[in-house]
Amino acid sequence: MATESDGEEDTAGKLTGSQHLEVDDDLREMAKKAAWSVSSCKPGNGVLALRDDNLDTYWQSDGAQPHLVNIQFQKKVKLQLLVLYVDFKLDESYTPSKISIRAGDGFHNLKEIKTVEFKKPVGWVHIPLSGTDPRETFIHTFMLQLAVLSNHLNGRDTHVRQIKIYGPRPNPVPHQPFHFISKEFITYSTLK
Amino acid sequence: METLMVDRVQSSLRLFMYRNALFLCERLCAEFPSELNLQLLATCYLRNNQAYCAYHILKGSKMPQSRYLFAISCFQMNLLREAETALCPANEPNAEVPNGAAGHYLLGLIYRYTGRRTCAVDHFMQALAIDPLLWAAYEELCILGAAEEASECFNDAAAFRVQQQQLSESSSQNLTIGTECQSLPSSMALGSGDTSPRHSKQLHANNTRETLSHPHGTVMVAGHPPIGGPSNISQYYTPPAVTQLSGVAPPPLCRNAQLYLNAIGGDGYTKSNVNAVIQAPRRKFVDEGKLRKVSGRLFSDSGTRRSTRLSGEAAANTNSNASQLGGNGANHFSAKSLGGLSSSSSKTNSAVLRSVTLRRGQSWANENFDEGRRSQIFYDSCADNTVTTSSMSALADGKCLEQDKMGCGISAHDSRLASGIREFLGLLRTLGEGYRLSCLYRSQEALEVYLRLSQHQFNTGWVLSQVGKAHFELVDYFEADRFFDLARRVSPYTLEGMDIYSTVLYHLEEEMKLSYLAQELISVDRLSPQAWCAMGNCYSLQKDHETAVKNFQRAVHVDSRFAYAHTLCGHEYVALEDFENGIKCYQSALQVDERHYNAWYGLGVVYLRQEKFEFAEHHFRKAFHINPCSSVLMCYLGMALHSLKRDEEALEIMEKAISADKKNPLPMYQKANILSSLERFDEALKELEQLKEYAPRESSVYALMGKIYKRLNVHEKAMFYFGIALDLKPPAADVATIKSAMEKLYLPDELEDTL
Repeated sequence: MATESDGEEDTAGKLTGSQHLEVDDDLREMAKKAAWSVSSCKPGNGVLALRDDNLDTYWQSDGAQPHLVNIQFQKKVKLQLLVLYVDFKLDESYTPSKISIRAGDGFHNLKEIKTVEFKKPVGWVHIPLSGTDPRETFIHTFMLQLAVLSNHLNGRDTHVRQIKIYGPRPNPVPHQPFHFISKEFITYSTLK
Repeated sequence: METLMVDRVQSSLRLFMYRNALFLCERLCAEFPSELNLQLLATCYLRNNQAYCAYHILKGSKMPQSRYLFAISCFQMNLLREAETALCPANEPNAEVPNGAAGHYLLGLIYRYTGRRTCAVDHFMQALAIDPLLWAAYEELCILGAAEEASECFNDAAAFRVQQQQLSESSSQNLTIGTECQSLPSSMALGSGDTSPRHSKQLHANNTRETLSHPHGTVMVAGHPPIGGPSNISQYYTPPAVTQLSGVAPPPLCRNAQLYLNAIGGDGYTKSNVNAVIQAPRRKFVDEGKLRKVSGRLFSDSGTRRSTRLSGEAAANTNSNASQLGGNGANHFSAKSLGGLSSSSSKTNSAVLRSVTLRRGQSWANENFDEGRRSQIFYDSCADNTVTTSSMSALADGKCLEQDKMGCGISAHDSRLASGIREFLGLLRTLGEGYRLSCLYRSQEALEVYLRLSQHQFNTGWVLSQVGKAHFELVDYFEADRFFDLARRVSPYTLEGMDIYSTVLYHLEEEMKLSYLAQELISVDRLSPQAWCAMGNCYSLQKDHETAVKNFQRAVHVDSRFAYAHTLCGHEYVALEDFENGIKCYQSALQVDERHYNAWYGLGVVYLRQEKFEFAEHHFRKAFHINPCSSVLMCYLGMALHSLKRDEEALEIMEKAISADKKNPLPMYQKANILSSLERFDEALKELEQLKEYAPRESSVYALMGKIYKRLNVHEKAMFYFGIALDLKPPAADVATIKSAMEKLYLPDELEDTL
C-alpha cells in the first residue's frame, strides 16, 4: 500500500506531490468502472480531462466553492488509494489547497473520511484512503466525492489535471478466503 | 506451339517465376483455350497467392480436377459453401469426389469449419481409407476426438493398400527416358531395390516433417525429392496454403513416386490411384497451409524457418550421417548427396530429405509442383508416356529400375516396396498413436509412445513440441520448458506449439524468457497467431491486461481459426472483470474447436465468479470430460460442487485430484476448506499440517489454520498461526482480513462475514 513518501510532505504535514506515480503492484485502477461527474466546468475543460492520461489537459471548475468531483460505482468496491496530479507552478491560484474526501452510498449520505492540505504541490499527490486503523486499509463504498474546499492564493476556481483511483486486485482464484502467494500454489491455481 | 508454351509455363512455375508463368499461361489460354490449360492458369494464380483469380476462371468448370482447384480457391477465400458444392455437387449425389483422398480431406475440413462434425469425421476416414499415408487426415481426426487407434489405421491392411496403389501406378508407367530428365540430378543412386524403402521412408519422414514444420501450414517439400531429383521434389511440394495444389501435378507425382518404388514400366495409368497417392501427401501440406496461413509472406517465412529448422535438426542429429547431413544441409541439392543415399540407411534418407527440404525452404517459400507439372505436361502432351518417369529412372543412377532390370527386379522391388511401406507405416503409427493420445489428453501414455521413436525422429521440432505440450498438460511446467527449449534449438523457426510454450513461461513467471520468446517470434513472423499470443502472455504476466487483450485480439485477427488465441483473450477480459466479452471470446474458441477444454474451463470460472454455480459446474464438468487427467480441473469442479453445497461429491473429486497429481497442493487446501466449512475441523487441520510441510511459505495455509483454531476457540494457536501468516507478507487485502480476525479473536464470533 502506498504511504505518503517523504518527498510528499513538508514539515506541517501538508502534501507537496511527487514526480512519479508510485503504486503498489497489488493495486489496480478502478476508475474505468465508475461514472465521473463534476459540479461545474468551463467548456473545453470538462471532466474528460481528468481521465485522459494527459497531464497537459485539466479540469477547470466554473462556479462556487466547494468544487466537487463525484465518482460513482455500480456496486460497492474496495478503494485504497487516490492520486491527483496538480501543478502549482503552472496553475498557481488555481491549485487546490484543501481537499475533503467523502464516501457513501449516494449523494444523500456522504460522509467525510479524510481531509488533506496541499502546499504548492507539483506532481502526483498520493492520498491513501485508509484510516489509522490497519484493519481499514480499504473503504468499502458505492461513491467517492472529492471536494475542493479552497485554492492557493484564494483562487475561486480550480484546476486538476488528472485523478486516479486504486483498489486491491481481486483474487485470481474465485471464492477463496485468502490469496495464494507461494510459487507452488500459484502454479497450480489457474489454467490458461 | 501449345506444348512449348505449356512447357515454359511449367518450368517457370518450377523455378518460382510466377509473373512469367502467369503471363505465358494467359497467352496459352488465349491461344489454345481448353479446360486443361485453364487448370494450368488456375494453378499459376494459386501459386501466386491469387486465389480469387483462380476462383473466377474456374467457376462452373466440370472436370474433376477443375472442381478440385475451384474448391481450393473457395476454401482459401473462405467461401466454404461454394467449395463444398464444387466437391459434392448437390444434384449429383453419387459423383466421385475429385482427387480421391485429397478431395475427401478438403471436404472434411470444410465440414469441420462449418460445424458438421460427423460428416467431417466421415470424410477424413474415407480419405485415410483411400490413402493410408495421409497423415493430415489422421491428425484432423485426432483433433476432432474421433480417431481410432493408430495401429488400426496404419496397419497391415493399409500397407497392402498402399502397395497395391504403388504397384498399379508403377505398372502404368513408362520407363523411357525423357529428354527432360537429363537436367535432373541423377543421383537416384539407388538400386532399384533400394528405392522403395528409402522412398517410402522419405515419403514418410517428409510427411511427418511436413506436419511438423508448419506453423502456418506452409508448404513443405514432400520429400522423395532426393531420390528423384527435381521432378520428384516437385511432387511433394505442397504449395503454401494459398497457392498450391495444382491439380495437374498428381499424375506426374504418381509416376515419380512409382519410379522410386517400382521402376516397373507401365502402361495405363489410373488417374485415381495416382491422385490418391500423390494428393495425399500434397494435400496434407496444402491444407495445413490453408488453415493457418495469412499471406504469402508467411510462406516465405516458414520456408526460411523450415530450412533453418532443418539445418538445426541436422545439427542436432546425432546420427552418424550427420556429416553427410551437414553437407546436404548446405542447401545443395547435388547428386552427391543423393549418391550418399544409396549407401545409407533410412537415417540418411531423412537427412537427405531434410537437406532437400532445407534447400526448398531456402528458396522462395512458394514451393510448388514445378517438377510435377513438368511431368504432367509430358503426360499430357505425350500420350505414350515418355516422360519423367524415365527421368526418374535415369536419375536412379543408371542402375535404375529400368528396363534392364525389369524382369528380375520386380519381385525384389515388391519385397522392398512392401518392407519400405511397412517401415513407413510403422513410423506413422507411432507418431499417430502419440498424437491421438495427446489429443485425448492421455499425456502420460502419449509420452511413452513418443519415447519409442528413434533418436533422429524424436529430435525434431514437431515431436519435441508435442512432448513439451504433453508435459504442459500434465502441469509439469519445468519439463515442458525443457522440451520446448530443445525444440526451439532444433528448429529455431518453428512456430507451432510456441503459444503453449509462452503459456508455460507465463506459469513459471519467467518474464525475461517470455519477452525474449515473444520478440523472437514476432521477428520471425509478424503474421502468426503464436507470436501475438506470446506477446499477449508477456503483458498478461506483467498484469497489464488491457495491452494483453489488444495483443490477443491481433492474434485472433491474424488467424480466426486459432482457438487458443480466443481463449487467451477471454482470460484477459475476465481478469479485467469484463465478463460479457470474456464469455464471447470463450464461445468463439469453442466454435473453432469444441474440444478446447481451456475454453470450457474459462467459462466455468466466469460463472463461478458470477455465482451461477450450476453453470459453473456444468462447464467444469465438460472440461473435465475432455481432459480427465488434469488435477486443476478436478479441483475447480470440486470448488463448484462445494459452492452448490454438494460437499460429498466435492470431497470425492478433491481426493481424486490429490491422487492424480501429488505435486498439486490446491486440492488438499480446498479439501481442508470444505472440511472446515463442514465443521470437520480435525480432518481439516490434518490436511493443513501436511500442506505446511509441502509449502511452508504459503500464508493462506497458516491463515486458514488460524481461522480454524479461532472457530475451535484455541486462541493461542489461532494468534500464533495468524502471526505467521502475516509474517509471510500476504497482499493487503489478506492483511486486513487477518488483522481484523486477530482483533476479534477474543470476541464471540457471531456476525462475521468472512471469518
